[in-house]
Amino acid sequence: MANLLNSVIANQSINPQPREEMPAFTFNTNGRIKPMKDKGRLLPSRIIGSPVEYAKDLKKDIVSIGKAAKGEANDHELGRINDLAMKLGSLGLAAYLFTKNPVDLKKTMEFVGFGTFFASMALWPKLSIQAPLKARTGVDIHQRYIDSQGRKKMLYQDPQYVLTDLYSREDLDKIGKKLNVNENLPDRDNFIKQRAQKTALQGNTLWMMTAGIASPVMSALACNALEKPITAVLEKADLASTAKALESGNAGFVAQFKQKMADKAFEKFLQENSDKVMDGKLIEELASRLGKGINSPEITAVIKEELAALKPKSSTEININLEFVKAALKDKVPESALESLTEGNITAAKGSLQGIADTVAKLSGDAKPQKKSKELYTALKKAKDSKSKPTVSQVKEGIEKLHSGLSEFAGKKSILDKFIVARVGDEPNTYIANQWGRVCGKLFKLMKFNMKELKALSNGDMSAFETKLTKLAQEGNTEEYNKVVKALMDLIGDYEMKTGKGFADTVQTKSGEICSAARSTLEAKGFEKLASKISSTVEPKGTLQNQINAHTAERVNGARSSFYRLIQLLDLRKQGSDSDISKKIKDVLYNATPADYEQKLTTKVLNTTTSEYKSVMGALFGEQSGEAIKNSLGAVENGSKAAEALKGLERYKQQAKNKIANWQSNITPDLSNRILDGEAASNAAERSSLTGDSVKNLISKTAKQVYNSKKWLHIFGGTMIALTAATLIAGLVIGRKGKTEKQAEEESRRNG
Amino acid sequence: MVNLIGVNNQNAVNVNSVGFTAKTKEYKRSMCENKDTLMYDEGRKHPITTGLKIQGNRLANAFTKYPKKGIEGSKNANFYEFLTMGMVPYLTGSATMIAVFNLASKFFDNEAAESASTLGKKMGLGVVLYGAAKILSKKLIEKPLKFRYGIDVNLPYKKVINELPEEGNKNNLVAHEYHKAFESVDFPRWDLLYDNDSFGESRNAYFEKIGKKLGLDENDLEHADQKVKPIIKEKVIKARLFSTLSSYFWAATGVGIAMQKPWENMQFNPVKRIAALKNHKQVVKNGVNTARYTTFAEDFVKKFVKSCKEFVNGGSAGKVLLGTAVGLTLLGNFSTLFDFNKYRGSKTHASTSLIDESKEKVVC
Repeated sequence: MANLLNSVIANQSINPQPREEMPAFTFNTNGRIKPMKDKGRLLPSRIIGSPVEYAKDLKKDIVSIGKAAKGEANDHELGRINDLAMKLGSLGLAAYLFTKNPVDLKKTMEFVGFGTFFASMALWPKLSIQAPLKARTGVDIHQRYIDSQGRKKMLYQDPQYVLTDLYSREDLDKIGKKLNVNENLPDRDNFIKQRAQKTALQGNTLWMMTAGIASPVMSALACNALEKPITAVLEKADLASTAKALESGNAGFVAQFKQKMADKAFEKFLQENSDKVMDGKLIEELASRLGKGINSPEITAVIKEELAALKPKSSTEININLEFVKAALKDKVPESALESLTEGNITAAKGSLQGIADTVAKLSGDAKPQKKSKELYTALKKAKDSKSKPTVSQVKEGIEKLHSGLSEFAGKKSILDKFIVARVGDEPNTYIANQWGRVCGKLFKLMKFNMKELKALSNGDMSAFETKLTKLAQEGNTEEYNKVVKALMDLIGDYEMKTGKGFADTVQTKSGEICSAARSTLEAKGFEKLASKISSTVEPKGTLQNQINAHTAERVNGARSSFYRLIQLLDLRKQGSDSDISKKIKDVLYNATPADYEQKLTTKVLNTTTSEYKSVMGALFGEQSGEAIKNSLGAVENGSKAAEALKGLERYKQQAKNKIANWQSNITPDLSNRILDGEAASNAAERSSLTGDSVKNLISKTAKQVYNSKKWLHIFGGTMIALTAATLIAGLVIGRKGKTEKQAEEESRRNG
Repeated sequence: MVNLIGVNNQNAVNVNSVGFTAKTKEYKRSMCENKDTLMYDEGRKHPITTGLKIQGNRLANAFTKYPKKGIEGSKNANFYEFLTMGMVPYLTGSATMIAVFNLASKFFDNEAAESASTLGKKMGLGVVLYGAAKILSKKLIEKPLKFRYGIDVNLPYKKVINELPEEGNKNNLVAHEYHKAFESVDFPRWDLLYDNDSFGESRNAYFEKIGKKLGLDENDLEHADQKVKPIIKEKVIKARLFSTLSSYFWAATGVGIAMQKPWENMQFNPVKRIAALKNHKQVVKNGVNTARYTTFAEDFVKKFVKSCKEFVNGGSAGKVLLGTAVGLTLLGNFSTLFDFNKYRGSKTHASTSLIDESKEKVVC
């Protein structure tokens, strides 16, 4: 282009004329006109930015959205809006998943997942690429700067446009020194800038290549690591808040608000359905609404009965007159037949529906009057029945009475339920579930199984456990044995403290209070049947109050018995006996589940002699049982966890002795001889909760979990380690002088 | 475009005599042709293959050429390459996400594997639906704008880059990049839209076409470019804003839908299916499994519809999420399809109004 212009100018035929001299292009500005001051500068690098800066940036972004909505934003602003939108969308998703998950831990983990993912995205390049490179080469590949317009950008994002001029003399010297650039090199600054630019480009490429794998894995690993502490915090908070709610009888603002909304919704439902007849479907719906919060199918069933029995205030006696018959049989017979029907015909039938049906059938002139009469009778009966059932508005007062009688009870019952569920509920992440996990987890941690052993254990092959147990019980390993016992007994002691007598007493007192209050309220309102189903002094068995206590005790005992079975095993092993009886006991402790405990004991032990049976039971539940554990713990401080666990063990032994050893089995006729001293047997459910889960089940279930989480951790922890190592090694190559640079440096030195 | 700059009128006459300003196509090609070419015709004739070609090229380069250049520290590496490489973490990230939830289940026992794979399946589907919803939802704003006014925010062009020679590459110095004419709202590639035969004979054909669709009167159409450019810019910004904002909420909705119950009964193993594709012909011939593929499609659609219903009816959170996405899309449609700014004048309009429209204008 320039050549062409030159040639065009050179070929001009017109000779340039001498021009008049122009006046000097100077005038006095009085210092008012100056070039704009350059405001661009580098921003300091931080691992975590300051909240004030975030807030300021967020404000700017929101302003940008406003501008963009008017069609006025620039590229930089649109780019930032994209980043903001990504975070907003992810927050929206986390919030959605939060509401979808019923369990607190999962809810919390949704946000933790969101947080760790974004944190991983930000931290991975900082920790694995940016920081090592900066330490080694002095180049911060994520160096940010702010331009004169106040836009924050990455200095090295566009390799073709790097504002290295923003570096100060000191900065450049620092980088130059770290990059080992010859100090006497002419044009040294440019040389350093080029090297820095190249280093940043390489680092950024490495970042792009690794971030996709690193971020999700890092996030998943972080979530995995955070789950335990978060569980502990949530559990503590849950235990405290439910206890407080039970104490004050106040479920908190949110629950109250929900209750108010539910009451309003119930009122609305009654209004909307006020004309409807109280048929089965409607009663069902009403009962489920009234029973909400009580969570007992038995109570809901009784509510249904009470609803069906509601009588309208005003009598709804059906007047069987001409009008009623005509309306009921409208489509069943020809109109002429109905027209010829008179009031006299109705009176003649004396209210008998069959009589009316016969008359109309005759009038209709049907070929088969008897069949027709049957059909008409059914239609009349149906019409009468539907009329005799009251409508909602007719029994509204009764429904409202029932509602007011139940709503306070439902509220209080749900507070109590939450208190119980937080401790011993049959749900994940309750105290009982967490503590179970802790006891089993601790045992596995101390026993140190390898992956192969874990796999075998999870398939029900107990040999690895057996070997470790035998080793543990040996004389030389007392210290290790004591460690295991102490750790387990401490955890069990904690369980005893939280679910022991104090807990049972609280549940008993509160359920008594709540249920008897509901009983008197409902009795006063005239719902005796429902009242007696909730609580009764005459026949407490089968009442809701009784159910609450029984169910709670069952849950507490189930886990507790399993723990003590494990302890019994440890105890028996240490006491060391290789007799046949001992083997049989071992077999029972290992393998018997609540369902077949009795049968196992029978086939393995009961079919032996009486003395043998007694010695088995004695070993399991007698005086001698638990000695090794006591010895192992040594002197325990009164009130400590271990002391509580020891007390619990004694209680368990007593209960089990009474209720397991003394059961009445019909398999052995001379059972009376085999019964130990103590109470007689109890019911099957109670017995089963006292047997607890088999050690084999406990071990194999835990092994499965431990194996799975270890396997997962091996795969992704391994991936993370490998990726980090590879990135760090790659980082060592980055920033090195290439062949070209070496040549250039050489050349430059020569020329200089 | 340096034509005529610095050349006074007198000289221009003389220049004319040597053909320097001859306004012919040949002149343009020889002197000022911008090698970057708009892919308008190609995109119109073969919309799918053009899209695939562009994306395929970008994808291939993102995994091969650009990382190589980047790791070597090539002086030719540029911002486009860096941005294109952004596809790598997106794709590897999605695959890793799926792997995090699915890979380990292979080693688990049946029971655990089943529950892990239920979640894994959902997560895998979630990743897929996230991407699909994000991409497709943008079309909900972009397509109506294109249909109504002919403004294609994704109008592609092929850019020619003349690279500097460097160690290891001294000859192969021309590189191609695929950009969008409106990817920068600060510097849209207006130059590619002038004098483009694809739109018509006249120099302003593109702008006239859009001006007509915008309903400009005859007088305005005479200098359509001046009138239309600010409006296009404004609409592109609005479309970008709302498609970006809404896309992430659609993506979140996609994941929400993937998390519903109906998917748990989905009998589909992508790996097995892909393996079965090898024998697809045989399978079709035997008429055995062909039904299965259609069953899968049918099953998928059914489950999708069911899950959508469950997502919406499952509680207010689903409704809010979907409502936000739909609301933002509609807002995007509303603000891009209705030209209520035309007369009121925004700042961008104000800047053009500085030009005295009663006077003649020359645009370089």
